[in-house]
Amino acid sequence: MSKPMIKVDQLHKSFGIHEILKGIDLTVHQGEIVVIIGPSGSGKSTLLRCLNCLEVPTSGTVKVEGQNFADPSGRYHEKRVAKLRTEIGMVFQSFNLFPMMTAIQNVMAAQIKIRKKSPEEAKVTAEEYLKKVGLAERMHHYPNQLSGGQKQRVAIARALAMEPHIMLFDEATSALDPELVGEVLKVIRKLADEGMTMILVTHEMRFAEEIGDRIIFMDQGVIVEEGKPDDMFNAPKHERTKRFINQVLHPESEKV
Amino acid sequence: MEILNHLDFATALKALAPELWQGLMIALEATLGGFLLAVILSILIAVGRLSHYKILRGLLLVFLEVIRGTPLLVQLVYMFYVVPLLISLVVQFFIPGYQFQLNPLVAGILGLGINYGCYLSEVVRAAILSIDKGQTEAALALGYTHRQALWSIVIPQATRQAVPVFGNYLIMMIKDTSLLAFITVNELLLRTQAYASQTFLTIESYTILAVAYLILSLPLSQAVRLLEKRLSKHV
Repeated sequence: MSKPMIKVDQLHKSFGIHEILKGIDLTVHQGEIVVIIGPSGSGKSTLLRCLNCLEVPTSGTVKVEGQNFADPSGRYHEKRVAKLRTEIGMVFQSFNLFPMMTAIQNVMAAQIKIRKKSPEEAKVTAEEYLKKVGLAERMHHYPNQLSGGQKQRVAIARALAMEPHIMLFDEATSALDPELVGEVLKVIRKLADEGMTMILVTHEMRFAEEIGDRIIFMDQGVIVEEGKPDDMFNAPKHERTKRFINQVLHPESEKV
Repeated sequence: MEILNHLDFATALKALAPELWQGLMIALEATLGGFLLAVILSILIAVGRLSHYKILRGLLLVFLEVIRGTPLLVQLVYMFYVVPLLISLVVQFFIPGYQFQLNPLVAGILGLGINYGCYLSEVVRAAILSIDKGQTEAALALGYTHRQALWSIVIPQATRQAVPVFGNYLIMMIKDTSLLAFITVNELLLRTQAYASQTFLTIESYTILAVAYLILSLPLSQAVRLLEKRLSKHV
């Protein structure tokens, strides 16, 4: 098998007295597309946010391309964490574009500030990625002049321009109007075709089934079941998985 | 009603206008310097009060309480008369006979800057706290450190948001430069006082002074309103 890009060992995360993640083990290989599904509050977003250390694990380790976020003594040094994060792009539910910058400035900012590229170089890269997400025409618009779908595509371009090896999508289409979901999924699909290693948290089950190499079902802070999309959606083994899949695929048949 | 027959605005205006103009230049100088200092201080204080260092936060809070709990006029007098004495006392340990003096305008700029910096820091702090946490997270995810995210993503948005409030404080500061008359800065009030006491044209002099301040501050408030409109475009 190809090399592991992300390796999570016995990851625990608590907020106060609430344990959100109760011992997660997960390995994601190069080029693999892993989709995490599960009911709200199951810890799937927290897990994703631990993968780039936006949430610092309470215990356990997260390794990216063999490198631990924590240093050998177990401390999380800001510079070390920041450096590793540049290998991981993240797309948020609420886009989080920088409102005072145009689309292209959003995509250029981190290239200049973090990758230390010249503005000219950064501009070339930014144009390339904005073109890729289909927004060449809109690169000089401010975020508040863009639709939700366009904003999310700029956010994807912004992450890609750092040339990360892994992309994380945290409910990237949940805040979008239904008619705008497709344009964002199309961009994600294109990345999948190019072999990007991706981990997605999503409620788009059809998309998960179609794009995922592996589906992970989480509930109450643990991975209940994982497997190939076909098995997970059509022949789930666990009762909880069955119930969840049934609920999301047939919401009208839900019995309380 | 005797006095009304003797009102002589024409004479007063003619004599005062060039005086006020020169006084105005000094007032503007004080405002420019004072406000620049205030803005820089306000951002530093706001960032300090949001830092992880408990001791720093405590010290800043004490400092803020001292400044907010004493009148600006007292602070100005203190800065002009007391601070140089204190500095002289300390330096005299090393250099006997040393006398430190503060130029009145410099003392005024320092006093205004520190006082306004403290009040503005609350505005900046509130603005920083109002910026969506997602902004910082997006920056962190791109590889920024917390400090980089704060200074290049959060603070620019926060200060932008604070600009209209800053504008109002700027106009207040222009008016507060009249207090500098008490520490011998030759601005509008001091010049008017001198003229009024020489000529006894009291009503005329101070009325002209008041109108002069109005002429100054009305268009400025208008400008602040326009600025507010422009800045709210991309937030």
